[in-house]
Amino acid sequence: MSLVRIARILGVVAFVVLIAILPRFLSDFRASEMARVGIFFIALVGLNILTGYTGQISLGHGAFMAVGGYASAILIAGRPGLELAQLKAPDWLPVGDGMRDIWTIPIAALVAGALGFLVGLPALRLRGLYLALATFALAVSIPILLREPETLTGGTNGLNLFGTTEDRLTGALDNTVHIPVLGKDMTFNDWTYYLAWTVALIGLAIAWLILRGRSGRAFKAIRDSEVAATSSGVSLASYKTLAFAISAAYAGAAGALLTIVSTIVTPGSFPVFLSIQLLIGVVIAGLGSLGGLVLGALFLYYLPVGIQELADVGSLPNGLQDAAKSPGMPSVIYGVALILVMFLLPRGAAGFLRKVLNPLTKRL
Amino acid sequence: MQELLQQVVIGLASGAIFALLALALVLIHRATGVINFAQGEMAMFSTYIAWQFVQWGVPYWLAFAATIALSFAGGMALQRVVIRPVESAPVLTVVIVTLGLLLIFNGLATWLWSGEVRTFPPNRPFPTKTFDIGGVVINVQDIGIVLVTLGLVAALWAFFRFTRAGLALRAAALYPDSSRLVGIRVGWMLGVGWGLAAALGAVSGMFTAAAFPPLEPTMMQAVLIYAFAAAVLGGIDSPGGAIVGGLTLGVFLNLVGTYAEDLQDLGFPVNLEGLRLPVAFVFILGVLLLRPQGLFGRAEARRV
Amino acid sequence: MRRTSILIGVLVAAFALTLPAAHGRQTADPGVTGNSILIGGTTPLSGVASAYASVARGAEAYFKYVNARGGVNGRKITYKYLDDQYNPSITVQQTRQLVQQDRVFAVFNSLGTEHNLAIRDYLNSVRVPQVFAATGARTFGADFRKYPWTIGYQPSYTGEAMIYGRWIQKNRKTARIAILYQNDDYGKELIAGLRRGLGRMANRIIALQAYEVTATDIQSQVARLKASGANTFMIFGTPRYSVQSFIYANRLGWKPQIFVNSVASASNLMEIASDAGHNKRVNGTISIQFLKDPTDSTRWAGDAGMKLYRQVMKRYLPRGNANDVFHVYSMASAYSFVEALRKAGRNPTRSGVMAALASLDSKKNPFLIPGVTIKTGRLDRFPIEQVQLTRWVVNRRGDGRWVRFGPLQRTSG
Repeated sequence: MSLVRIARILGVVAFVVLIAILPRFLSDFRASEMARVGIFFIALVGLNILTGYTGQISLGHGAFMAVGGYASAILIAGRPGLELAQLKAPDWLPVGDGMRDIWTIPIAALVAGALGFLVGLPALRLRGLYLALATFALAVSIPILLREPETLTGGTNGLNLFGTTEDRLTGALDNTVHIPVLGKDMTFNDWTYYLAWTVALIGLAIAWLILRGRSGRAFKAIRDSEVAATSSGVSLASYKTLAFAISAAYAGAAGALLTIVSTIVTPGSFPVFLSIQLLIGVVIAGLGSLGGLVLGALFLYYLPVGIQELADVGSLPNGLQDAAKSPGMPSVIYGVALILVMFLLPRGAAGFLRKVLNPLTKRL
Repeated sequence: MQELLQQVVIGLASGAIFALLALALVLIHRATGVINFAQGEMAMFSTYIAWQFVQWGVPYWLAFAATIALSFAGGMALQRVVIRPVESAPVLTVVIVTLGLLLIFNGLATWLWSGEVRTFPPNRPFPTKTFDIGGVVINVQDIGIVLVTLGLVAALWAFFRFTRAGLALRAAALYPDSSRLVGIRVGWMLGVGWGLAAALGAVSGMFTAAAFPPLEPTMMQAVLIYAFAAAVLGGIDSPGGAIVGGLTLGVFLNLVGTYAEDLQDLGFPVNLEGLRLPVAFVFILGVLLLRPQGLFGRAEARRV
Repeated sequence: MRRTSILIGVLVAAFALTLPAAHGRQTADPGVTGNSILIGGTTPLSGVASAYASVARGAEAYFKYVNARGGVNGRKITYKYLDDQYNPSITVQQTRQLVQQDRVFAVFNSLGTEHNLAIRDYLNSVRVPQVFAATGARTFGADFRKYPWTIGYQPSYTGEAMIYGRWIQKNRKTARIAILYQNDDYGKELIAGLRRGLGRMANRIIALQAYEVTATDIQSQVARLKASGANTFMIFGTPRYSVQSFIYANRLGWKPQIFVNSVASASNLMEIASDAGHNKRVNGTISIQFLKDPTDSTRWAGDAGMKLYRQVMKRYLPRGNANDVFHVYSMASAYSFVEALRKAGRNPTRSGVMAALASLDSKKNPFLIPGVTIKTGRLDRFPIEQVQLTRWVVNRRGDGRWVRFGPLQRTSG
């Protein structure tokens, strides 16, 4: 193996170890923050396959997160849970009687993936901005559509899973979570952290396997040149829809995790801005590269949080502190930060890293 | 029949507003290949500037004109300062920059003027008198908006077709390298394109504040969505398409709302009134599936 | 391929083995030190609902005023509010931050119905007071048995609409009612309250039109309501659509008796709706009031409460708009909280404050209209249950103002 490969493998190992031991060094609450970072990360891994690898723009992945989130919530609640909340699922829907939260994640991914496939089919006819509009339409419509079947989804107030018992939503009632298989106890925050990052690592591994295999090569070929790809025998239709389905599945898993971590799901949890954030995330990460995605996820989560903290930085003059808390200012700061990052890293973090590391790796 | 006509008239006016903003989007897309997601918020910001002038005692029409001029200058400045640095970056990077601008203008308007609702003096820009034609109530304001929109479109068309500046703009957008060879200052042309778009957006904003009062920071958000949809419906590179798309969409939306209840009575399971937006999208996507380049867009022949 | 699988297997195993043990649980009442009390909440500072941010800003200003006078029992109040972008999922995260990381004494004045619902279970399970949730949804006052750590503040939407219903029952027996409402729980709760208040006259509601918050305008809805032949128009929506309702009703030549819900009844809105006097429909519009109207300088000219209000705004929130009634609301809420804190004694505990909040009895709130008592009890978790009907009256010069009429009405839950 070349030195580069060894370095890469070591990097991955270090990453995994870091994730495993991080909670020891973080406060309990920070662990829950990192769980949210993980959720963003999962969605970004999926979206990266679609936008970074096959070059299809989606402004609507928040919609897939929503579908996954609601699917998970409904499954966790089950018919008895829905009844308790004075809701009802239609008879033809295989809702079941309440399921453990962990198992709803792959199911949510499947449901979202199926929807992604359905969206991917007509999407074949559209490219560039037309596709962007179509997916944007999805993002805008989903909160509205989720409110409508009120008896199933709980309308504006959504579904509250806090009352579900221990065997279905691990640790919602009590702050201590008992993990059956491993027989350990941990806080709810640590549990959400490990749940999110385990799913993230599994997702990352799957993505890596997909991308280094035939599909990955096909995706890259499509991105580089559709004409050339087809000439080489790559079926555009199959791979493009596949990319949509895969990315939607990841978003669905992320949505399910969001439900589990928040213990609630509402239409307002998946606004248009979420879909826009996901796109921002992959661009900042640097399209087509797995490395920058963690940075993208960190950016997405911590920028709004950081802006809030500005108001508490004691050393800032009073006027500035107050400005940071004024309505509207957080948006301005976010926008400015976004533009600055794009100026500094026009090809995203990965692009930047590539530029920096290129001279180093060239010599190896 | 009366109600149908009534709704069509109302729809045309709102459609004209979408069309103006859609035209702005198309302008920028033709010039720089990017959808300016901040177009709506820029339009809203321009409208607030006009409002501020009026608050300071400036007569309405003077404020209107000054705002158009300022918006033109502002749009141009934005292109030079914010867009040019990322010109050679991937398209998505520029898209993110426009998203950043969206957040900035939105936040700035809220910060400067607060979320409080505001209004312009009554009977501006057009008298809000209504007159009745055979039971259909027509608002002078609506007619004014449609006429001015058509007038602006015609003027713009003439500008592009018959003036040297217009020709230079078109050349700079389509063939930047060749244009440079001929001595056209492509950079400045792009700036002019953004300036024009910003000015159009300002008009759209002023009309929105008049037709869909009150003036508040969120007022252009829905309009932008509809404008985007209209632009795509018409064909993202076709100014004429933007107008047709806008007017069509405006009327369509209104009709959906009008007949939602009747449809429901006929047994349709859901009340479409609240689902106007998704329905509009379904309509547009339907069109796109049949004509992926939009109604008047250029069909790219891709034999793949 | 095999090497890869082994590698993955090793990584997963290593990962699993490093899972840590449980952390300890916190006890004792955090947020209180010898000279300070830390409270926190969430409010939208960006995005569509940022107009409501005044609800936090006004309270913050009032606390600064109280602190400048020595605070409560020698403790200064720090009010930390975070921008939740009106997204309940973010509300959950930030509320957990306030409780677990910032260790606030209580969660105060968080804004939004779904948002308060999203955090109610959590806060009750960790026994952190959810004080004066800024929403009129009935459940925050009604479900105190299940949620003893939660309390709302303003009169419920149900209660408000019931008052309209009862008034119509008594004074407009020939009413034919049309309703424009926001298509969510807020609008629907108002309708439910109206029906209750109407009693046997509930069948007088002959037309209902909903709108989505994504709507640019509601012209067609108003047109259809007019077409129903109604002579009474209930506007159950937010400011933007309320203004449009007045304007379109006027344009369409419709002359009903209009009722507008209190959220959308601020004086500046009415001024806008009246199109500088051109729109006569607004005359005679009815709403309810429980806060002193900051734009009514004639009525409150010598009033000590409003003088205080302006003082606080000028000194501690100079950039804020003093005419924004949400600032008045938030100061009233902050005032009541300070009262409860004082009542909780020299060494306030969370349960002590909740006990104080559940036994309020105060007529002294300077920001509420005269006569309103803030009262809660063992079975009553609605602090404000008295409002007064108010009518928009336009004088000869074309200036309008809200004029209260009738006795104080009860919005019993």
